[in-house]
Amino acid sequence: MNRNSPSILEVSRRLFASLLVGLILAAPLPAVAADQTKELLLGIEPEHNIFDQMERYRSLAAYLSDQLGVEVKLTIMSRYGEVIKRFKALKLDGAFLSAYTATMAIRELHLEPVANPVNLNGESTSRGYILVRKDSGIREAKDIQGMGMVFVDPATMEGYLFPLLYLQRHGMTDMRIFFSRYSYSGSHASVIFTVLDGRADVGAAKNTVFDRLVANDPSIQNELEIIAQSPKVPETTLCIRNEIDPHLRDMLATVLLRMDQNAPGRQALTAFKALRFVKANQADFVRIEEMAQEAQSVIVEGGKD
Amino acid sequence: MNTWHRLLCRLLVSVLLLLAAAPDAHADKRIGVIMTGDIPYYGAIHQTFVAELHKRFGGGEKFEIFLQRPFPNPISWTNAARKLIAFDVDLIVTYGAPATQAVIHEKSRIPLVYAGLYEPDLAVTSGKGVTGCGFKIPMSSIIRYLKRLKPVNSLGIIFSSIEEDSVRQCKTMQELAEQQGIKAVGIDIRSQADLAQLKNVQTDAVSITGSSLVHLWLTDILSILEKARIPAADIFPDEMASGVLMTLYQPAHSQGQMAAEMGARILLGVEPGSIAPHTFRDTELVFNLVASRHLGITVPIHLLIEATKVIE
Repeated sequence: MNRNSPSILEVSRRLFASLLVGLILAAPLPAVAADQTKELLLGIEPEHNIFDQMERYRSLAAYLSDQLGVEVKLTIMSRYGEVIKRFKALKLDGAFLSAYTATMAIRELHLEPVANPVNLNGESTSRGYILVRKDSGIREAKDIQGMGMVFVDPATMEGYLFPLLYLQRHGMTDMRIFFSRYSYSGSHASVIFTVLDGRADVGAAKNTVFDRLVANDPSIQNELEIIAQSPKVPETTLCIRNEIDPHLRDMLATVLLRMDQNAPGRQALTAFKALRFVKANQADFVRIEEMAQEAQSVIVEGGKD
Repeated sequence: MNTWHRLLCRLLVSVLLLLAAAPDAHADKRIGVIMTGDIPYYGAIHQTFVAELHKRFGGGEKFEIFLQRPFPNPISWTNAARKLIAFDVDLIVTYGAPATQAVIHEKSRIPLVYAGLYEPDLAVTSGKGVTGCGFKIPMSSIIRYLKRLKPVNSLGIIFSSIEEDSVRQCKTMQELAEQQGIKAVGIDIRSQADLAQLKNVQTDAVSITGSSLVHLWLTDILSILEKARIPAADIFPDEMASGVLMTLYQPAHSQGQMAAEMGARILLGVEPGSIAPHTFRDTELVFNLVASRHLGITVPIHLLIEATKVIE
């Protein structure tokens, strides 16, 4: 045997050692990736006043950054319906989504719902309202035919899906001929002001925004009539990409769910205008998905002005 | 030819002559219109009214319009109404409450169609031969927008006590302002001399009612208010972009169209009493950013996106 040529045992030993090194290098990859995660980029759906909204979310992001040891950055998605496109284009790690966009994102992007904020009124849910001016003479679904309608955005449950489903159940077969005109205002508050001004006869918006506006200006309640309301759905849900390191995902959920149990967390919650976070429930979105399927036949893309 | 034949021939010739001479159903109709002053809002209603009538009558010269433009005061309105009644027109059309009420007061048998009336169901517009259309603006929205533009603790309301609908709007606005803890001050304009009192106005904002007299001097009013840096809101469109910061108004064309439709039906023989009056409630919201710059007010982006139109 040549002294320089390795024995079979030696070859096996080297091969084993190489395999072991390879395994050692390969096995902790996710952990290494987690350690190397420098930032989390979270999207926000735009509300009526995006400056106030950013201010609210900034305090939350700062708290999360501090607790997770990862910089949490925020970006506003240009409009409700953009969530799927923007998620891919911006390579977002997660987003605070309203009920219908969360449903779409769970379906199309396989996002995982993590937590819902509980509002100052103790609710983590919202419901859709169909609103008219009290002096409009509109009292029920049949009076809406031939009127001008304002929706929030085609990607909202309270501001689009619910009114369509409600009217479909009351005989609407084609929204293009049912309304004299329809448009999308882009925000729930804007829908309420549009109906108040008479720029549309009927509007659909969520109750939490309506309640907030009424609290600021009680005259709004004197002028508007709620003629229908939807079941409750999660108002906002933090949904996360399922490719994100499970350790970080768990940490994020834990930090959010325990936020109300420490002083800095409570301070951030106050600035965020929430009482606490609660665990999200995937089953909530199944029901919204069913509503979307049911309303599909009357839905038409684009507005008719 | 015997006597019977001659008589029959004469009868036939007479019938033929009568048929030839008879006008078609709505040829040579005379329409009297009272449009107070040169108020652009009424002008826009009238423009649509005329265009729509031409469309309905096939573009031929089958009607003639006698346009009266009285100065906004009771004597001029009465004179304009009497003149049209003396002309024995087939239809009178009025824009705004005072002109309408002046015609109704004369108790003429000539049918009347009104337009541009604020809350016509509350105005005195009843009468056998009277119908028409008007509008309603949610006055509370004006207060709401002004409050979103700047803190408003006091509100001046410019009105004219010689115009019933302007008085009504002023009262509504006062009630709404008081409900919100805003001190409301009525500023009555009855003549040009009354504009001087605007120099002493110190309210946070001003709301302008749909008075024709007030709108006659709108440019002067806005010039005084701008010097005092007081923003103004109006329920008539600021067609000339003369400096109203915010307008919430009912578009004129729909009223012009409906007035023409009603007028055409009446000229074709339909009883005015059988045509139901209509109140338009749709509105347009306009912000004037040139005015906002002069006043040193920033219109927030979330208000701008509400607007139907932005003047830059």
